[in-house]
Amino acid sequence: MKTINEINQKIKDGDAVVVTASEMTEIVAENGPKEAAREVDVVTTGTFGAMCSSGAFLNFGHSDPPIKMARTYLNGVELYSGLAAVDAYIGAAQPNKDPELGLDYGGAHVIEDLIKGEEIELVAEAYGTDCYPLKHVETLITLDKLNQAIMVNPRNCYQNYAVAVNSTDETLYTYMGTLLPNYGNVTYSSAGELSPLINDPYFQTIGFGTKVFLCGAEGYIVGEGTQHSTDVERRHGVPTTSAGTLMLKGDMKKMNPEFLRAATMPKYGPTLYVGVGIPIPVLNEDIAASTGISDEDITCKVVDYGVPRRERPVVKETNYKELKSGKIEINGMEVPTSPLSSLKKARIIAEELKKLIEKSEFLLTSPIYRLPSRGYTLRPLEIRKPSILVRELESKPVIVTHPDENIKEVARKLVENNINHIPVVDEEGILQGIVTSWDIADAVAKGKTSLQDVMTKKVIIAREDEPVEVVARRIDKYDISGLPIVDSDNKVKGIITAEDISRLVGKKMDRGGESI
Amino acid sequence: MKAWLRFLPSIIGKAIISETIKKYDIEFNILRAHITPRGGKMLVEISGPEEKESIKFIEEQGIEVNPIIKVVKKDKDKCIDCGACISLCPVKAINMEEDWTVEIDDQICIGCGFCAKSCPTKSIILFE
Repeated sequence: MKTINEINQKIKDGDAVVVTASEMTEIVAENGPKEAAREVDVVTTGTFGAMCSSGAFLNFGHSDPPIKMARTYLNGVELYSGLAAVDAYIGAAQPNKDPELGLDYGGAHVIEDLIKGEEIELVAEAYGTDCYPLKHVETLITLDKLNQAIMVNPRNCYQNYAVAVNSTDETLYTYMGTLLPNYGNVTYSSAGELSPLINDPYFQTIGFGTKVFLCGAEGYIVGEGTQHSTDVERRHGVPTTSAGTLMLKGDMKKMNPEFLRAATMPKYGPTLYVGVGIPIPVLNEDIAASTGISDEDITCKVVDYGVPRRERPVVKETNYKELKSGKIEINGMEVPTSPLSSLKKARIIAEELKKLIEKSEFLLTSPIYRLPSRGYTLRPLEIRKPSILVRELESKPVIVTHPDENIKEVARKLVENNINHIPVVDEEGILQGIVTSWDIADAVAKGKTSLQDVMTKKVIIAREDEPVEVVARRIDKYDISGLPIVDSDNKVKGIITAEDISRLVGKKMDRGGESI
Repeated sequence: MKAWLRFLPSIIGKAIISETIKKYDIEFNILRAHITPRGGKMLVEISGPEEKESIKFIEEQGIEVNPIIKVVKKDKDKCIDCGACISLCPVKAINMEEDWTVEIDDQICIGCGFCAKSCPTKSIILFE
């Protein structure tokens, strides 16, 4: 019906009709896609979300005498400098090398500070060569002084995403934010009907060479992003889970700190909020219909982040209208929802891009090729030697005790069996608590006699079908030395200790230098 | 009004609060409490017609009353209005406005600090 060249002519003449994706939803609902396609020339989308997979190539220029940078740090954040002498890539998710600053000041923060024009400390180390004799430099840089600062983000603008919830009884700290125990809250990241790739679900207009609004500057799509996937379940054409992604490029020197922000997901790590707006030319009725998608028609899956496995259980399906209402229902309960991406900024970006096009300051580009819209599925990483499950561990017969057993008897069991942990079980073998040799020593010191007073009732457990690595992380997280292994009925089947795990790691190392 | 009450160890055993409630017509809401044998502190909200008199009485009994004007504040320059804090608030003091701006209601806030700890851009300031 229309071509990009015709639309560009209209933009140049100041005649183009540009609307945001939210406005388009209303127009299509009122007049239908056919009429909307006649009326509207460009739909602007926007998103402002945490996108870990972001970063930039920096070129520092040569020092005198020259150096071949092998390890490079900006404000204490390590860059990847295995490129050439004075090029490096800074990744947004890289934490600070100083454990005190750690996650609070990472790659994303360096990128933000550079764009704000601040002075950044550069430290580089080298091994020294005939042409690059210098082994160490320390200086201050600013964005202006760099030859190039090219943002290249390998994976931005996810097309839809999972919605997060936590079924366990502990608070979890994830890249989806803080998740309260027992389905206490829900977090979601997509901007819904404003989100770029949701408005063009089969990439009819989006491709390599599409000019975009990237952090306040002109940017370009340089291909599909990493983990791009297309062959997924769809409703109204839109994937119901995370699908397409974009690789984006832009000049950091032209960016505006208003549209980019460093952040830290608590106890997870640094990440970069990236503001992206993509114009979608309304070439035909089909494209008008897909840009007319409403929050209600964008289905997504609520996923349990309490299960730290690749395939997380889906709790239910919902849509962005429900999510944006502030609460959804899970298991008959009303649970509050939080967006993680800024819907306000997404809207500002879509408006900003609309204004730029209306003022003829932003012309559309025809992509050299469209992004693949089929044939891409996500392959998992196969581990040649798969994880050992808890049930596969050699387990000694488990020694247990009962709540009414006296402390002296428990002490005898510990000593005779040369163990440090005794699960406390009822007559059916169901876990009631746990006692360690330390608890017994403590009880004796304080004159306590009842096991009930001494045992830990809230027990951290290991399930039989869990990989040992997951249990190792739990031992670390709760700073404990052993956990009872239980089956699905909470019956105690064994015990796993930190020593068991180190022994396992030792064995693996002997076999071929791998570690878990 | 909201205030921190500080207790010395010497008066931990006394039922001062219940006596105050019996004596004066006030609503007494405990927002946070941390009491140990070595004394303690409590964040409370006191309201009612005899608010002033009741506070005077509490002070006379040996409790230090430190009124607080602000519990929490959003740093508008740092905040990107993502809303990650909203579903974490136990008393629904944080809301999304019509235009998707995140607003914290200082009146409702109990200063638990959960939002501040979880804010990705560290934009929430908690007054202790």
